[in-house]
Amino acid sequence: MSRIIRLESGVSMKFFRAVMAASVLAACGGQAASAATTGNVLFNGTITATCTVTINSNGTMTVSSNLQSLSSHNAGGSAGIAQVDTTGGVSLSVDPVATTTVPASDVTATTWTPTFATSGAQTIAETGTATALTVPGTSTVAVNLAGTKSGTNRFSAGNYQATVTLRCE
Amino acid sequence: MRTIAILAAGLTAVLFPIAATGQSMTPMRGEVRSFADAFAVRVFPGNPYNQRIRVEIHVYDQDFQPVDAKITPSAFLLAGQASRPVLVVVPFDGANERKVRICTESIPFPSEQTQIRAQICGKFFGHRRF
Repeated sequence: MSRIIRLESGVSMKFFRAVMAASVLAACGGQAASAATTGNVLFNGTITATCTVTINSNGTMTVSSNLQSLSSHNAGGSAGIAQVDTTGGVSLSVDPVATTTVPASDVTATTWTPTFATSGAQTIAETGTATALTVPGTSTVAVNLAGTKSGTNRFSAGNYQATVTLRCE
Repeated sequence: MRTIAILAAGLTAVLFPIAATGQSMTPMRGEVRSFADAFAVRVFPGNPYNQRIRVEIHVYDQDFQPVDAKITPSAFLLAGQASRPVLVVVPFDGANERKVRICTESIPFPSEQTQIRAQICGKFFGHRRF
């Protein structure tokens, strides 16, 4: 008798387990259906204009044979080299030369003309006026400086030094 | 109290960039609304070199004439590849709006014939609200 009762109990337990398993599967199925719902996550990013100027080397000026030009363009002279990394949307310019050191023997006026040219991400022909940098990337800037004397004035022996301001804005 | 108002006005502007390595100065553009008689801008000069350099901050108007702004700090040594915040407080000087350039200038290498001074200028527009 007890054996029969246990059998009946076992059958009812199996049925109960089957019902429970079906319920769980149904629940999981429902969850799976809700998990499949998609949502959009938006990402926004704003890049403002940026500019990094790295001076790689300063320039060297040499004097011309007629002693009226002291320039980085003359034979033996070299341009100053800078690197500009930008997102674009900026402009590059050089300031008029304001700081110079000349030998005491040089008492005549000198006209200083700074210019620049770029290559790389954006090519700019040599100019002295502000120019837009519209192309993002790295450009190499060659900065030149020329000092000239007019009339009978001449450059004299001694050390000359001038500072050119390269501006990115 | 006035200083707090100025700072609060400046901080309301959207000028919270993530300072990136190699950035000479960020941000380079900005528009500030202020309820005080001055507006504040926080900029982050950066040193793209691997060695320490001396950096100076200057404020100019649209014609590159110096502006009597309060710059904290105005000159400092900056470690290689580093960046630091600089607070600039610009007075309106009676005007309702003012455009200024905040420029980061690096001191050029010495002992060269033609020195190049790098100058990165940001343009900032301050509006006064009453």
